[in-house]
Amino acid sequence: MTVPSRGEVKPGLAGRPGLRDLLTGLGQGAADDQPVITAGVAAAGLEAAVRQIAAHPGARLADVFVCAGSPQTNGGPVTLRLVWGLDADRTYLITESAVDGERYPSLSEIAPAAFAEECEIYEQFGIRPAGSRPLNRVALPPGAGPDWPRLGRAPAEPPRDVHAPHHVGGHAFEFPFGPVRQVAVESLYYGLVTSGEELVDLYLFTWHKHRGVEWRLRGATPREALFQVERTEGLGAVGNAWAFAGAVEAALGIEPPPRAMAMRAVALELERLYNHAAATAALCQSTGLMIGQAAAEIALELLLRVNAAAFGHRYLFGVVDIGGTRADLDAAALGSDLPAAYGELERAAAALLSTNSFLDRLEATGILTEEAARRLGLVGPVARATGLAIDARADHPVRPYGQSRPEVAVQDAGDVLARFRVMLAEAAESVRLIAEIGRTAAGPGLALPPGAGPGQLASSGLGWAESSRGESLAWVALDDSGRITRARLRPAAVRNWRGFDDACRSQNVFTDIPIIEASFWLTAAGTAR
Amino acid sequence: MPLWTLRGLRRGVVTTRYPARPDPSARLLPTPPAFRPDMLTPGLADRLVSVCPSRALARDGDMLVFDVGACTACGRCRAAAPQAAGASGEFELAATAREHLIKRIPLGGRPA
Repeated sequence: MTVPSRGEVKPGLAGRPGLRDLLTGLGQGAADDQPVITAGVAAAGLEAAVRQIAAHPGARLADVFVCAGSPQTNGGPVTLRLVWGLDADRTYLITESAVDGERYPSLSEIAPAAFAEECEIYEQFGIRPAGSRPLNRVALPPGAGPDWPRLGRAPAEPPRDVHAPHHVGGHAFEFPFGPVRQVAVESLYYGLVTSGEELVDLYLFTWHKHRGVEWRLRGATPREALFQVERTEGLGAVGNAWAFAGAVEAALGIEPPPRAMAMRAVALELERLYNHAAATAALCQSTGLMIGQAAAEIALELLLRVNAAAFGHRYLFGVVDIGGTRADLDAAALGSDLPAAYGELERAAAALLSTNSFLDRLEATGILTEEAARRLGLVGPVARATGLAIDARADHPVRPYGQSRPEVAVQDAGDVLARFRVMLAEAAESVRLIAEIGRTAAGPGLALPPGAGPGQLASSGLGWAESSRGESLAWVALDDSGRITRARLRPAAVRNWRGFDDACRSQNVFTDIPIIEASFWLTAAGTAR
Repeated sequence: MPLWTLRGLRRGVVTTRYPARPDPSARLLPTPPAFRPDMLTPGLADRLVSVCPSRALARDGDMLVFDVGACTACGRCRAAAPQAAGASGEFELAATAREHLIKRIPLGGRPA
């Protein structure tokens, strides 16, 4: 499969001998220099291929999903797809394997990051990895019977419910918290296992927010689907919509005008800014610093007003369209209001960084190591705070990030303070990028002209964007009439929740959990989708 | 911590009656549509129903039924028929009963 180059000049494979060797090893003779490479791998050879790819420098397993032959498939062969981020090579590699039967080679034995997806595939398609490892319930609620809407057929046995015993080893007990929690936060159930103060273990239920978005998108036109994709995760509308639109555009072989791509980037950076301001306010709230919270929320409100003035929506819904953007930028509003709004955030951040009682709560709290971040396939500020310099804007640049390259903010302590510092550095970089991209955005047209028809049909494509939480991925397959047969959405929250329990277990006490949650700044909606 | 208290006091009291004054940023909010009955035809109503992604619109004979509670103010109907749908400017939509949010608009009727 080939996808449009999206205006990027990418190094040829002559400059990437390691990638050439990898592809040759996978039996891919037709090497190219595209941003996405697809390789067919027989199910029998999948385990060896996964080991080979996992050993490739800079390779990380970014997503795993299954496509049924048709929406009506009940049993029968399915296609297992693994999406690898070959960040050092600036390429995504998709392996496709036909799976006939109820089992496929265990992926999580080699790439632990795949376990959550193995569980999800079992729930949705009824097939499981080899071995007898129990698979957990991740998306569908308890009692979801065979008739529950699924992408494939129901599993023979229901998945295991992750419940710690309420009395653990005679010394620890489970403290249930949620799914209804304080104020207006999302539904999320914490099973906190504690011996009184220190957290021994933690597990999460996110299925209260499951809406079956991927199931609902089948049969829709891409434009109809975009409405729901934007609402999959309200705080990530631009990032997820861009990834989805990019996937559809790759499948159709179309390329939005440069100005439209610039508008998307400005909206994406505005989304990053308001999310990082919101995370700052949440950090203040979780540490009991009410005035700091108010200061950050003033900045947040001003940034939301900038969004409304610039693009007509406070949360930037309706900006991205298939083939371009729906909303034009009011550059005058941006130029006059953004410096003032960001100035509020800067002042609040400077005061917070000189408040020892605040910093004491953040330092050495919720530590994640770089090894854990890599092993679990984490992305975004959470990964970058451990020293892992991955950023889809820099590693897999689409226009305009090829020209306006972001400075990737990295810290190495892996704690809450490191995540906070990464967010602040990214906010400053977003302001710089908005100014630079706004200056260079030229040319007419926010969308493809009417009649610029699809270059190809009945195809598939991968799209991506670096949302405020990290890399958001989408994969779309279309039928002959241009309707969706399978849409896979993988917001960054899907990845990063799996690092949350590791961070919470690292010698933290009860009151640290809200601080760690604020520093991750994830959504339950994004992972439950 | 005393510095934070001083910082808070310097910004002043922020609790006021609602609304303390008309907020100019309110005009930037997306709002549900207001329909012009005289511009609505059965064909146009059907088109509006088909473009509404949240199923806030339905046609009942010679009436366009608009469920404001289901509207997300996405603007698709306004883009599809700017002559018949404009922004209402209403964003405070609280009601004491669900049915108060459902409007029945006569097709080809007089402008409201």
